[in-house]
Amino acid sequence: MLLIENPLNSSELVFPVLECFHIVGFAFSVGTVAIVNFRLMGLGLTNETPAQLWKDTQWWTLGGLILMIFTGLLLFSSDPDNYYLNYAFLLKMLFLVLAIVYNYTAVRKTAASNPPPGGGKTVGIIAMTLWACVVFGGIFIGFLTSTLDINHI
Amino acid sequence: MLLTFTQWLQATGLFSYLRGSSYTYPVVLALHMVMFAFFGGLILLTDLRILGIAWTRYPIQEILEKTRTFKKHGLILMLILGFLLFGCKAEEYYYNAFFKMKLALLILLGINYLIFRGSVYNKGAELDRMPTAPGYAKLAAALSLFLWIAIACSGRGIGYIEPPLEKLHASVVPGLSTGQPSTPVAFLFRRG
Repeated sequence: MLLIENPLNSSELVFPVLECFHIVGFAFSVGTVAIVNFRLMGLGLTNETPAQLWKDTQWWTLGGLILMIFTGLLLFSSDPDNYYLNYAFLLKMLFLVLAIVYNYTAVRKTAASNPPPGGGKTVGIIAMTLWACVVFGGIFIGFLTSTLDINHI
Repeated sequence: MLLTFTQWLQATGLFSYLRGSSYTYPVVLALHMVMFAFFGGLILLTDLRILGIAWTRYPIQEILEKTRTFKKHGLILMLILGFLLFGCKAEEYYYNAFFKMKLALLILLGINYLIFRGSVYNKGAELDRMPTAPGYAKLAAALSLFLWIAIACSGRGIGYIEPPLEKLHASVVPGLSTGQPSTPVAFLFRRG
């Protein structure tokens, strides 16, 4: 038994407050990513080119991602066993990696190429589906009562 | 009277049915959050633009006009999904301080829209003719931004309040699996 006490667990308020920052980071990252992806689907700010929108949202996206991941790691550290033995959490991490990789490869490339209206539809839909899966994973973490058996890992 | 209403609402056929499955509530909640992820960005875009913090290259009018329908539909979907969540355990929400706070903040958001509709939200072109948006427009945008973040945080807070179980007449089926993993995703990770 480790006798290291995580300072994050010293107050009941830390976790919920961190969660609020996690949600704000998520609104900035996924929210700005959505603006680009909607444009690829031919929706929203259609007066601007996808390349321009990517350029104008990229730092907000990155800032949101950093805030989200940093607070996410802190939340994880409060009770790691509760997370890495949770299927929903594992799926969330899988989809998070896929969504980020997809965003910085396929979405970035498609946006830069300025496809004709509706030409980036598939890419936009795939990207937003991946982000929706991340959200689903996050919500289900708290609703699963049984976890993986630690002896089988 | 409100309490009687919540008890009646959660006892209706629809909500008794929704409560019967332990998947329904988290799935509706996840969809509620997906809406937030998809449309929250448009609110940030609008408010930060009016405040002059970001996207100043884009005319305010263009952003207001091009995102209006989207935000409207996103909000309607969010409200419908939120109402479904509320109905599943309406009585429990009646006792939840964060839920009441969230409702009050939503009402304030509506008031903000009604007050500034004529001078800000429908006057994008006029705002664009000024070098920067005037103080009242920035006030509207700052209030909107603050209220939305407060709504999201109070929404998260709802889950932290222990329900007064002895007073309740219904609850959502707890837990998605008991004992052996039985969720569809569980099979992906099952071993031995």
